[in-house]
Amino acid sequence: MSLFVQSLILGILLGGLYALLASGLTLYFGVMRVVQIAHSAFLILAAYLAWFFATRTGLDALLSLVITVPLFFVVGVGLQRLLITRLKPATLTMMSVLLTFAIALIIEGMLGFVFTGVQRRIHFSYGSASVPLFGAEVPVVKLVAFALAVLALGALWLILKKTGFGQALRATIQNKEAAQLVGINTDRVASYGFGLGLATAAVGGTALAMDATIYPSLHWHWIGPLMAIIVVGGLGSVPGAAIAAMVLGISQSLLQIPLGTTWAQTVFYVALFVTLMVRPQGFFGGRLAQRF
Amino acid sequence: MSRWTSRRRRTSALIAGIGATALILSACSGGGDEGGDDVAEGGDEPILIGISLPLTGDFAEPGQGVQRGYELWAETVNANGGLLGREIELKIVDDQSNADRVVADYEALITQDEVDLVIGPFSSRLVLASARVVDEYGMLFVEPAGAAANIFEAGYGNLFYAAPAIADDHYNYLYDYIMEMPEEERPQTASYATMDDPLAQGAAYGLKDKLEEAGITTLVDEVYPPNTTDFSGIAAALAEADADLLVGGTQYQDGVNMIVAVQQLNYQPRMAAFTTAPTLPEFVDALGDGVEGVLAPTGYSPTADYEGNAEFVEAIAELYDREPSEDEANAYTAGQVVQAAVEAVGCAEQGECQQELIDWLHSNTVPTVVGDLAWDEAGRPNGAHFIQQYVAGQPEIVLPADQATAEFINVKPEW
Repeated sequence: MSLFVQSLILGILLGGLYALLASGLTLYFGVMRVVQIAHSAFLILAAYLAWFFATRTGLDALLSLVITVPLFFVVGVGLQRLLITRLKPATLTMMSVLLTFAIALIIEGMLGFVFTGVQRRIHFSYGSASVPLFGAEVPVVKLVAFALAVLALGALWLILKKTGFGQALRATIQNKEAAQLVGINTDRVASYGFGLGLATAAVGGTALAMDATIYPSLHWHWIGPLMAIIVVGGLGSVPGAAIAAMVLGISQSLLQIPLGTTWAQTVFYVALFVTLMVRPQGFFGGRLAQRF
Repeated sequence: MSRWTSRRRRTSALIAGIGATALILSACSGGGDEGGDDVAEGGDEPILIGISLPLTGDFAEPGQGVQRGYELWAETVNANGGLLGREIELKIVDDQSNADRVVADYEALITQDEVDLVIGPFSSRLVLASARVVDEYGMLFVEPAGAAANIFEAGYGNLFYAAPAIADDHYNYLYDYIMEMPEEERPQTASYATMDDPLAQGAAYGLKDKLEEAGITTLVDEVYPPNTTDFSGIAAALAEADADLLVGGTQYQDGVNMIVAVQQLNYQPRMAAFTTAPTLPEFVDALGDGVEGVLAPTGYSPTADYEGNAEFVEAIAELYDREPSEDEANAYTAGQVVQAAVEAVGCAEQGECQQELIDWLHSNTVPTVVGDLAWDEAGRPNGAHFIQQYVAGQPEIVLPADQATAEFINVKPEW
């Protein structure tokens, strides 16, 4: 019983992390039909920056967010303006896979060149601490990562729902031409949307760095599950991705008890296949993905 | 039409340009080599040794370590008058950690470059792939890094693993030590969590089989795929079982992540052993005080009093200002083994000489930096790994007793 409670708690925390890591990915697709293979590479880049910051300054890795979040936003805007907009609209989705694949390789190579292939981990005082809850142990870093996820996703929700920019962004997601007709500068909105997505990668990467060992090629292990999450959640839907992440995270954690680690990992791909067979537009995405 | 011709002309000009550049480059490197020849004693041709290594890709880090080990060995031999009075020249090519490439590499080294000797690549996966092709040409194949059981089960008569022990035997000294402990102090239960990897799993299961036979109960037996990044679920199972002994069949990131995950769930085993991760210097940076008492099998110790070890440690210190890594040591060992065979038999070329070298190694013991090595028919070495333990934050050899640099800590401090 206690193993069940322990696994459930760990599953919820894991789901929160997945939601944070996947939110940006679904946003890019929603705004621009861009499949951002490099999203997980940017996560690892942010994780390296957090590690570098923490080991050099001796300060908490969380403080690196002050630098990385605005930096990643600007990089995202620049990336969209300089590279993504050059792709032909008719083949945008396909070509964006190629383009961002190249970016992922560049980031991986650069990390290997600058920081070498040595695997890194931030060592800090509360890294292995935990608080008891219902007879289970709740790791403090995983709680911090979960809190980061809640804050980042909450902020994203507020921006999308409550601001003029958010309205314009949602209008662009729903129907680009119509949005242009009512006077929205969809190009600028799209680049800010891209920047926003990359900013979530900065937050996610920092959360990742606090509780994982990082190395340049780590991003290949993440992109698969994250892609599965956003397809199950419905491409372009941030709440959909968050719910799918939570469901899959908890399922993975609980299935580990009877099935073991190897088979529990397949939950992402089983969910992906089932989604594509039963509801190809995803469970929450609605109209958007039907065009894909 | 005219556009086509001009483009074709431009292309051929480009190709000519590249060709010329390549010629100039090869001329330069060729010149360097010839310079080396003149220095060689007796004016003989150098002994050309072909090696394919993963210098890029997944195994780039250890692959480059192996490269350093080979190069240092060749420099050492050349500085001492060469092998059979001839200079050693290494031809190292990059297989990009790719099993198809490594096969093609050895084929090319043997047939096109007509190397006199070959030495093995890094990692069980690439050794397994390349052993077949080297065997087809009947050449001696001493390899520094293929410890997995299936390499030896393939039954290549030409293969020799230049390290103290195959994976299954890595923990032999620890097993002996546990069996010698008084009954009431001995761990009664054990949990195993291991990566689905021939080396890591081989070592952990080698110990598991022996301990189960000795009556120590297995509580958890988890195997996880190499891409596992989240260890909280495994840690939950380990913490629930609360075994006396925790054995991790790990490489690096999984070992560190697993340890942090069980720390977070406050599982305190009395004894904890992991493969590979604790032998790397970054292990302490990642875990801090948590490393105290952690055990690991290691194939090499800089302090061990073995053939040429002091000289090797000194050379590495001079070059890189640090202690040798296990990869460097294993490569150096492979070189020593080849050197011993060549010196004893008195030849180094393709053809009948290779079988003579193979036969000699099958019936002799070679002193190396990792101890005296002898092999069975399949190329399995006869020894066991040292057992390393973190004592006062330092990796120390605790077993076997005659090479120990510190006292074994029986009950691991809490991590």
